[in-house]
Amino acid sequence: MSDPILSVEGLQVNYGRVEAVRNVSFEVAAGSLVTLVGANGAGKTSVLNAVSGLLRARQGVIRFKGQDITKWPAHRLVKAGLVQVPEGREILGTLTVAENLSLGGWHRGSTLHKNVAGVYERFPVLFERRKLQAGALSGGEQQMLSIARALIAEPEILLLDEPSMGLAPLIVDEVFAVIEEIRLTGTTVVLVEQNARRALAAADFGYVLETGEITHSGPAHELLADEKVIEAYLGLD
Amino acid sequence: MQLFLDGIFLGSIYALFAIGFTLVFGILDRLNLAHAAVFTAGALVGIEIVTRLGVPIWLLIPMVLVFGAVLGILIERIAFRPLAGRHDAHFAGLISSIAFGAILLSLLQAMYGADTRRFPADIFTPTRVEILGATVSLLQVVILIISVSLMIVLTWLVAKSKLGRGMRTIAENPHAAAVLGLNVGRISSTTFALSSALGAVAGVLFTLNVNAASLGIGHAVELKALAVIVVGGMGSLPGALIGGLILGVAEVLAVNYIGSSWRDMVAFGLLFLILILRPQGLFGARKTREV
Repeated sequence: MSDPILSVEGLQVNYGRVEAVRNVSFEVAAGSLVTLVGANGAGKTSVLNAVSGLLRARQGVIRFKGQDITKWPAHRLVKAGLVQVPEGREILGTLTVAENLSLGGWHRGSTLHKNVAGVYERFPVLFERRKLQAGALSGGEQQMLSIARALIAEPEILLLDEPSMGLAPLIVDEVFAVIEEIRLTGTTVVLVEQNARRALAAADFGYVLETGEITHSGPAHELLADEKVIEAYLGLD
Repeated sequence: MQLFLDGIFLGSIYALFAIGFTLVFGILDRLNLAHAAVFTAGALVGIEIVTRLGVPIWLLIPMVLVFGAVLGILIERIAFRPLAGRHDAHFAGLISSIAFGAILLSLLQAMYGADTRRFPADIFTPTRVEILGATVSLLQVVILIISVSLMIVLTWLVAKSKLGRGMRTIAENPHAAAVLGLNVGRISSTTFALSSALGAVAGVLFTLNVNAASLGIGHAVELKALAVIVVGGMGSLPGALIGGLILGVAEVLAVNYIGSSWRDMVAFGLLFLILILRPQGLFGARKTREV
């Protein structure tokens, strides 16, 4: 990888005195799909939140497009094109679908309408339900809304935190199809998943996180073929 | 009619104070107990400005608005932001805002002493006008116009502006707001600035109404404002407005028909009654949060 769009070096994240993440380093090439997999509590969300500026890194350097963004606040990163789709979707349940979408374009005044129209075209179900309270949508629809809302912010890199969590297998297929499409438009994707097999199958490159540290990394298809990795870290499903 | 109007004048001041109080609560989920000290500070600093500079009322109000806004930003920075990450942030903020208020009152006492202060007697000519058979002073009408227009501006801001959209998003889900790229810190501090600006102006209007300000006026109003926002529905702006007006009218009627010692009895009795009939308050919003 010559010039990674995102690089993390020696990241440490603490919650109070508890170390959640230790000495984590990884790189994401522009246009690629990179996944961080690992069990619940391995520190995947902490890594993602530190990159997104929602958590302060205790140590380490995070770079985005060559700039040191370690101390940047979340709103500045969103404006710069680093956008997260958070765990648990975090849609605003009492606002309508349309209002949720327009919040995605907080920093995109002039292109907001065009972006919303584009998203409605891709997700007709959101167009149909645009006047409904977002809390009334099904889990799968809420996940689509959360992804769509992030797309309206025009991400150069999209960080997805457990997008398949709590969804029926058929809906998970849809979510992964959407991720594949996003990636085909040239947007770089970082995918954090417990569903490791699924994530590695979709990704170019993978990192395995265990209790706050990276234990394995490599091209995703190699990790997927590595019996030791599968047995020890990914479990049998 | 006379009594009713007097009640409305008084109530509009309560409402203005309460609306600032409830704004911070409704949007940031924090009770700012320094709000009473801001009210007192607004009154005393307002008197100081008029005494020293002799400015007319239309210039005084914007100056006090700015003063209050600055105080609000300080309150957010000093009493609330450093505690934001704690899981007991609600309670910690409550205590630290009481401390901030106490410090502010001590400063005011050091600067202006503990005596009652008044506006210079000659600056506001006591013109009287007749409305619907009742005699009111022009000053009272001006007070009402100022407080009502400020409340209208605030309500518009929260309902229609981009800032207001940000505020409502933070009210619903502060984490989601941060993920979406809203500058949560700045919007929070603007919320405090607006709240305190209104609180400080309420102090000036209250003082103009009775032409006396002492260090204790904030505390007298604070409990009433809490009653008002509970009755109106915690966090509801129209609730604070209507609640304030009801309290003002109830107080004036109680003083006149029952006796001044019954004033608080009636006011807080009303609070109990409304809460028994409508536990969520008049305009209580059902707070549903996504799990």
